[in-house]
Amino acid sequence: MKMLPPAEGGGLPVVASPSAPVIVSSGSAPRQLADLPKDELDTLAEEYGLEPRRFKTPQELVAAIHGRRQLIASLDRAALVDVVRWGRRPVPVNATQEQLAFEILRIKSMRFDGLSERGLIALARLRGLETGPEDAVPVIVKRLKKTEGFWAKVNRKRRAVLGSIVSGLVGESESSKEYQFLPPQEQQGHGGGAGGAHVPPRDRSIKEEIEESGLFGGIAARVKKTADQYINQKLDDIESRIDRKLDEIDRRLAEWRDKEIANRLRILKITLWASVIVATCSLIYTYLKVHFGK
Amino acid sequence: MLDLDPFHFFRLTVGWVATIYATVVLVQTLWGWVVYLSGGDRYMTVVRRYLVLHALRLRFKSFWGDVLVCVLLCWVFVLIWMAHNAIEG
Repeated sequence: MKMLPPAEGGGLPVVASPSAPVIVSSGSAPRQLADLPKDELDTLAEEYGLEPRRFKTPQELVAAIHGRRQLIASLDRAALVDVVRWGRRPVPVNATQEQLAFEILRIKSMRFDGLSERGLIALARLRGLETGPEDAVPVIVKRLKKTEGFWAKVNRKRRAVLGSIVSGLVGESESSKEYQFLPPQEQQGHGGGAGGAHVPPRDRSIKEEIEESGLFGGIAARVKKTADQYINQKLDDIESRIDRKLDEIDRRLAEWRDKEIANRLRILKITLWASVIVATCSLIYTYLKVHFGK
Repeated sequence: MLDLDPFHFFRLTVGWVATIYATVVLVQTLWGWVVYLSGGDRYMTVVRRYLVLHALRLRFKSFWGDVLVCVLLCWVFVLIWMAHNAIEG
């Protein structure tokens, strides 16, 4: 485990750039956490994947949150990205390590197909297991499945069955699209984006959504996603139509400009021809008058 | 007795009238455009920039033949004028 740097002035955790592992300066963090009201502390603990009811005193909860922060800081960022890709969670490409961890903690899936070994180890550690690279993958999977409570497992299975039924009714095939990050977020304070509104993942199948969020939650998320897609598609259509119209207007104006200039030049040319003809006639007339008019 | 040459009278009259008329119409048109484009609102600024853009997009090659003819005709006109003065002494 990485050792944390000594506490410096300020006290707010320092978040490093997304590409580098995030080191959280947590020297004064427990003191700050202890100052939080209980409900905020509970919410924070839930974000970190802890169950506040399991801790009898606020001091224990603060210590657990502090430990969880240290754990997240010690995890490999690439492993966290692997888990996010596997879980198809919507995160920006420059998400901090804590944001990645928060998204991973929302993943309830127990199907570990497609998850890399380092990702599996990171997931297991975030789910409270003491694992390392020396543990074999089947062993880690078995231990992960053991951590799931009986009723949680029953509920998950029930949701999976419901999801299969709904998926069969809807006739949706398994989504196999490539995972895409959200657009990069602007730099903000520690954990600023992680506690914000939870955006439903875009590429999961309805079966997986129902398995994770329940029947109504999954269907609602799917309806919302479909409505969003429809609106976005319509907005794109309108935008492209406006662009086409603007291009057409621009092209017609350019044509009108060229025609107008050509027309003006033609009028000028005719005027000049008339002037030259009249001047020539005048010249001939003057010549005749000067030489033969006397 | 006034020595009035009908041809010169016609030529000078048409020249003056046409010149004054063309000048007045040109100045009126230009002044109208200046007043129209000197508006201070946002849309007029857009129109001004758009006109500048269209002027910059204009390609001389599209009209170079007509422009050349106009320049040559002006040159011929000046030559005739000089010849005219030379004949009259």
